[in-house]
Amino acid sequence: MPKSIARAALAAAVLTMTGVPSMPADAKQPTYSKSYAEDRAEIEDLMARYLFAIDYFDWDSYVGTFAPDAELEFASGTSKGRDAIRAAITSFSKRIGEFYHTEDGKPATLRHVVLQSAIRVEGSHAWGRTLWVEMANHGPKDTMKMGTFGIYEDEFTKASGHWLIAKRRVLNEFIPNRQSGPGNPVNDMDALAEASKK
Amino acid sequence: MSYASDRAEIEDLMARYLFAMDYHDADAYAECFTEDGELDWAMGVAKGREAIRAEAQAFKAKTGELFKDSGGNPAKLRHAVNQKVIRIEGDRAWNTGFWWEMTNGGPDGSIALPSFGIYEDELARVDGRWLFTRRKICNEFLSGRESGPVNPVLAMDRQ
Repeated sequence: MPKSIARAALAAAVLTMTGVPSMPADAKQPTYSKSYAEDRAEIEDLMARYLFAIDYFDWDSYVGTFAPDAELEFASGTSKGRDAIRAAITSFSKRIGEFYHTEDGKPATLRHVVLQSAIRVEGSHAWGRTLWVEMANHGPKDTMKMGTFGIYEDEFTKASGHWLIAKRRVLNEFIPNRQSGPGNPVNDMDALAEASKK
Repeated sequence: MSYASDRAEIEDLMARYLFAMDYHDADAYAECFTEDGELDWAMGVAKGREAIRAEAQAFKAKTGELFKDSGGNPAKLRHAVNQKVIRIEGDRAWNTGFWWEMTNGGPDGSIALPSFGIYEDELARVDGRWLFTRRKICNEFLSGRESGPVNPVLAMDRQ
């Protein structure tokens, strides 16, 4: 372990005693395999496909981004398996149209955007922490308005050569009890990745 | 290593940097820099990882003063990075990237968009890992901290 990392771990341990959220003791700096760029590129493509599917109400494509036994956790609850995920997201999508609407009451055109992702890959498993924001035409006089932002806490699995979502937690900083943090979400991801190697 | 591999790792570093910053993880933030790394931002220039760590520890209080939510509490601040021009030469790299920030400090708990700017970065690969040797944060909304007027990529390519 490089000295600097040992020192960071020590500093983190000290912070823990003062009650400040900190790095788990076994979290290590990321390592990148030779196929990291390719895996990351494919996972970024998967996350883009997920968003086009949700924003265009394409539920077949949407559930297709999940592994068959995947889990989706968001404001409406937790769903396991593609059928349950489809039922949950379809019903959520109808409700969101009642909150986000144009001035004449029609469901707004909603677009989700993904920003930076920290992605960790270990063999056929991967983890991601990604910042998202959403925007729609529900501002004054149907102008563009950014509504909310949050993060995705993801687990991915590679099966038959394709990356799929194994678990997605959608956190939203504007919904009580659905906020991320206060600790750095990347530390949890690193701890999960390290634990998977044992 | 190919350009794609280096770029993927540098993009991951930039994401880790922002999560560390926005969730006030001063250790993870400092670990994004080399031991003698330099941070040049609105509050001054910090040289060396320890100085950067101290800067990051103070960052929470400083931004908490600057950005409030509608209830008067420190707002949740999130930085985002968009396009990046990344140049790699062996174990050194340069980045010019566009950033912007958002908070929950708008009227009635809505999103506010305080500012945008660019990162001007120099990176080095140390023990197989890409780290910042220098990050300069330009902010177009702070007098004296603006970028330009010339395309910053030209200066990067000359180096």
